[in-house]
Formats: sequence, structure tokens, C-alpha cells
Amino acid sequence: VTPKAPPMASFSPSTQASPGLTGRVREAPAAWSFIAVGAVAVGVYFLLPSHSKGQSIYYDVLGLSAVGAVYVGTLRNLPKGERLAWHLFSVGLLGEVAGDAVWTVYQVQLNRDPPLPSIADAFYLGGYPLLAAGVFLILRRLGTQTSRAAVLDTVVIFCGVVLVQWVFFIDPYNHKHFGTEGARLVSMAYPAMDTLLLVALAQLLVGPGGRTVAYRMLLASVGLWVVADEIYGLNTASYQGGDWLDALWLLSYVIWGAAALEPSMARMAEPDRRRLPRLTNTRLILLAAALLTAPAILLIERARHDSVHSVAVGLGGAALACLVLLRLGGLVRAVEKAGRAERVARRESEQAQRLLTYQNEQLLELDTLKDEFVSSVSHELRTPLTSISGYVDLMLEDEHDAQKRGYLGIVERNAERLLKLVSDLLFSAQLQGGRLDFERTEVDLHRLVLQSVESARPRAEAAGIELVLDAQSVPPVAGEPVRLGQLLDNLVSNAIKFTPGGGRVDVHLSLRDGLVRFEISDTGIGIAELERERLFERFFRSQTALDRQIQGTGLGLYISKAIVEAHGGRIGVHSEPGEGTTFVVELPAIS
Amino acid sequence: MSEAPLIVCADDDEDILSLVSLRLERAGFRVVQVVDGEAALAAVRAERPALAVLDVMMPKQTGYEVLAALRADPTLADLKVILLSARVQEADIDRGLEAGADAYLAKPFKAGDLVAKVQELLGG
Repeated sequence: VTPKAPPMASFSPSTQASPGLTGRVREAPAAWSFIAVGAVAVGVYFLLPSHSKGQSIYYDVLGLSAVGAVYVGTLRNLPKGERLAWHLFSVGLLGEVAGDAVWTVYQVQLNRDPPLPSIADAFYLGGYPLLAAGVFLILRRLGTQTSRAAVLDTVVIFCGVVLVQWVFFIDPYNHKHFGTEGARLVSMAYPAMDTLLLVALAQLLVGPGGRTVAYRMLLASVGLWVVADEIYGLNTASYQGGDWLDALWLLSYVIWGAAALEPSMARMAEPDRRRLPRLTNTRLILLAAALLTAPAILLIERARHDSVHSVAVGLGGAALACLVLLRLGGLVRAVEKAGRAERVARRESEQAQRLLTYQNEQLLELDTLKDEFVSSVSHELRTPLTSISGYVDLMLEDEHDAQKRGYLGIVERNAERLLKLVSDLLFSAQLQGGRLDFERTEVDLHRLVLQSVESARPRAEAAGIELVLDAQSVPPVAGEPVRLGQLLDNLVSNAIKFTPGGGRVDVHLSLRDGLVRFEISDTGIGIAELERERLFERFFRSQTALDRQIQGTGLGLYISKAIVEAHGGRIGVHSEPGEGTTFVVELPAIS
Repeated sequence: MSEAPLIVCADDDEDILSLVSLRLERAGFRVVQVVDGEAALAAVRAERPALAVLDVMMPKQTGYEVLAALRADPTLADLKVILLSARVQEADIDRGLEAGADAYLAKPFKAGDLVAKVQELLGG
């Protein structure tokens, strides 16, 4: 009987496409319900009269429903093209059920067990390779067990399993009396086929780390099946239908069906693309067990005074030894390769380090070169300026002609302007280099403001500007007097420069909240709001200043701000275009 | 009245050398002019002046080198030295004073400042 149109196929598309969280929560009960109902059904099996025809039929029905569950689950949870492994399970389990059915037919119709060998054995034995193949397909798809090391591990385990199966399960049939040679061969075929499932079980055990519920279920069902088979193999003679051993096979059926219904079977495990298999405890235990089979068999047979399987143990032991050598060789090579990779990485890192150091040195050198360049340009400009100022000075001392004195005054002023420009450039280059450190002394700002204002007064008067000073005496600030003088001079001369004749410049000095506050207001041309943000940038000049051809370099406020900030203070500006500008400087006072 | 104090002036820029000399002579000092470091050293050793005004950036020997040589000579312990330079960064000034200069004047200098500094150093 082959289940046709699966009853739940109608909601297959959505669940296939996204085995997401909500899907899992909603679908999970299907698998667990199947296990619950199956467990009860298995319980009921033992309530039926033992070794009865009814019990036998019931067994077949249970097996068949598991096959149906595997088939339905496969259609629901997997898209076309990815179902092969689970279809192999369906067919493989169906083979087992068919074998059971043949037995039932013999019992119900003929009232006797089938002969050995019979068609039932063909179904049973045919199922095993399909089940094992399904497991290997799934593991292959998960990307594990494909490296050379993993394959070697598999072969080691295979050798161990073969050795045990041969010595304890297969070879004993050679020493028993069978009616026919066929019966003997079929009896030996069962433990031989179990070898496949045992290896499949071992592979599932050492499989990927991030296992899903479906993976664990599959592991459990294969495990139950193999354990039942092995126990059966040891007690063939005493087994009867309805034995407790049937519970293991039945549960295996049920859990296999549940695994297929569990939506996580679409993924089975988190992707695991490690090149080398991890030496987990399970893997180590399985490998150790495989390696210990040969000596263990020798000891057991010696203890039981059985004849020793010296050829099998010898061959098996030799094969295992060779495999271990191969595996070891692989490990050594892997370690050497890792060592080489590490050396290469270290060399590259050292090279990168050297390059970085070299580039750093180059940068430092470049920085030094820039400083030297600025410094020597400043030097080269100052030297001729010294002669110009010096000789103009001499001429002014000797010249009495007013007109010529006026001309010489112009030369002197312009020499001074040039000198200030050179100084500002040098200073701003220092600022760009981030170096503005100076020795701090107690500075009396009151005195500095007086000096600054008084030295600007002739210029203000010449321009017809009223210069008003309102300076309270304030506590000293910690700073560099020359730089603070430069700051005040900058702000005072700016105010005069940008105020038209007839205007007024107010200078205030006061103490407010522990801060010495210097405030200078003019009735000048003002600064547009958009330009205020850029006012303190290097080389910035306002459009009004450019339009009115007011001379300047755009360095004064940049330098002023740097000086204020180097003293731990701040500078701000308020302005109304056309009405005037106020600059405020606040510096922390020494308390 | 004793003879006016003698000053050795060293600068490779002859315009500035003349200017410095003229200012010092107008202030009443006697001046010997030299145009490089070696000549400055030789002039100081030969003339035993009261004070030397040295440019820093000079050929053959820099002002720093001349200054170091002068300070190493115990027979010149009384000599006053003014460094005169267009190098005006703090580092330059510190270096000059650490090398043993009595004063460091930046170019361009004000005539009044130079004369005042010389008079101060010579105790007049």
C-alpha cells in the first residue's frame, strides 16, 4: 500500500519556502503529536495477545503509518529536488514494513513462519542500504564528513564495526547447522547490513554541531533500530514476535516518521564548512572504540575460551593501524601547513610594521621640513625688512622736509605691515603644526588692555573714530603676555579698521563669574550671519571687507581664537550688518 | 675720560652690519665690523672687545658656534654677547640663551632697543 495524495499537502508551499520561527512554532505539534500518539500505540501493541495474528497486523499498520508520515513530511517540508534522502527513507522503511507484512501473511494465511530464505528477507535486506544511503546523503548535503580526515575517520569506524560484526555476529553462523547454504548466507547478511546502519549512526553522532530537532530525532530512530538489531542478533534463538524488543523497532518507526514531520528537517543542522572535522568527545570516543576493537576481541575470546579469530583480528588490527598512520600523517601535515601559514602571516605583519614605521618617519621628516621651510622663509623675509625699516628710521631722524617725512612714514608703515604678515604666517604655521605651548606667568590684563588701547588711539583719532575705554581692574590670568597682547591688538585694530569715520569703538574689561571678560564693540560695517561661522577660519575674509578693499590677510581672528583657546578661554561674536560688531573674550582668572 | 667701549659686530648682510654699526657709533661706541663667524672669533680674540653682536646665520661659523667657542675660553669671561637674528621662534631664542648669550634680539630690531640693551649689558 502506497500512501497517495497526502492529506496535508494543501499548506505545503508556505511551510516549504520558509521554515521560519512562526512556522516552526505552529508546525511543531505535528511531529510531537505523532510521537505521543505513536508511543501510546506502541503501548497498546503490548496489550494485544502476544504472538497473535492481531498483534502482527497491528505491528504492520504502525510501521505503515510511520512510512506514511515520512512521505507526507517529506512532501510538506522539502521542495522538489531536495527530497531524495527522505524518499530513500520512505522506500527503505517500506521495505521493512513489506518484510513484516510477508511474515503476517504467512502467519494469518498459512499459520506458520515463512521459510528461510523467503521473500520477506529480500524486502528486509533491501531496506538497509536505502536507509544508510539516506543518512549519508543528508550528511553530504550538510557539508560535513567530506574532508580527507573525516573520510579516514569514517573508514576507521567502519573497520572497527566490520571486525566486531564479523567476529560476534556474522562468523558464528559459519559454525551453526543450517538446512541450506542459502539460509546461512541470508542469516549472515543481516549483521552485514547492520554494519551499514552502524556506520551511518556513527556518522550522525560525529555530525555537525548545531543540530535541529529533526536531526536528533533521526539520530534517535537510527540508534534504536541498530540497537534492536544487535540485541536481536545476539538472541536470535530466543526471540519471538511480541517480544519487548519490538518496542525498539516500533519506536524507531514512530520517531523516524516524526522526524520527517518536524519542519526543521528542511535544515537538519547549521551550516558547518570546517575543512577539518572537530575532534569532539564523541568523535574521540568512537575512534578509540574502533581502535580498541581488535585487542578487546582478543581479550573477550580468551576470557570465554573461544577459538580466537586471529586472521580477522590480525587483518583488522593491521588495517586500523594503517588508517591511524594516514590520519596522523594528515594531522602532521595540517600542523605544518598551519605553521607555515603562521610564519608567512608573521612575516607579512612584520613587513607591514616596518612599512608603517618607515612612513611615520617620512611623515615626521616632512613635518620637520615644512617647519624648516616656514622658518627659513620667515628668516629670508625678515632680513631685508630689517634693512628697510632700519634705514627708513635713520632717514626719518635726519629728514625735516614734511612731505619727504610723509613718504618715509608710508614706507615705514608698509614695512611694518609686511613684518606683521610674516609674523602671522609663521605663527599660523606653528598653529597648523599643533604646537602652541608657552610658559605661563601671571598676566595683568588691565595693564595690557590699557597699553593696547593707547597704542591704537593715534590711528583711531586719525580715522575720526571715538575710542572709549571702560576697564575695571581684574584679577590676573595665567598666560603669555606677548601672545595676549597680540590678541588684544588684533581685536582693537580690527574694530578700528572696520569702523567708518565718525563711528565709535567701546572697550570693556570686567570680571564675571570668575572669568575675565574683554568686550569690544564697534559701530562698523558688521558681519553677515552666514559669514559669522567662518569668521575664525584661516585666511577667511568677509565679502564686505573684500568689497571695500579693507586690507588684511584673514589670519588675525584665526590666530586670536587659537590664542584664546590655548589659554583655556573662549571667544564669541555678535553682529548686526550695517550696525556694528561685538567681540567677547573670556579667560579664566587666577582665583 | 676713558676710551669708549669696543664692540665687535658680525653679520654677513653688509647692509645690516652697517646699520648696526651706525646705530652703535651714534650711541658713542667704537665698532669693529666682520662678515663671518671665523672673522668674528678672530676679531674678538685680537681686539678683546667689551661686547659682541653676532648674527646667528653666518657663513663659516654660525653665531651659535662662535658663541660656544667664546664661552669655552676662560680669558673671555667678561665678554657680553648679543645674538641678533631673523629666526624668531621660541626654540631659536631658547637655544641662543642656553648657549650663553646675554640677550637675543629679533630682526627687525628697533634702534632704541638695541642701544638700550647694549648699554644695560655694559653697565652704562
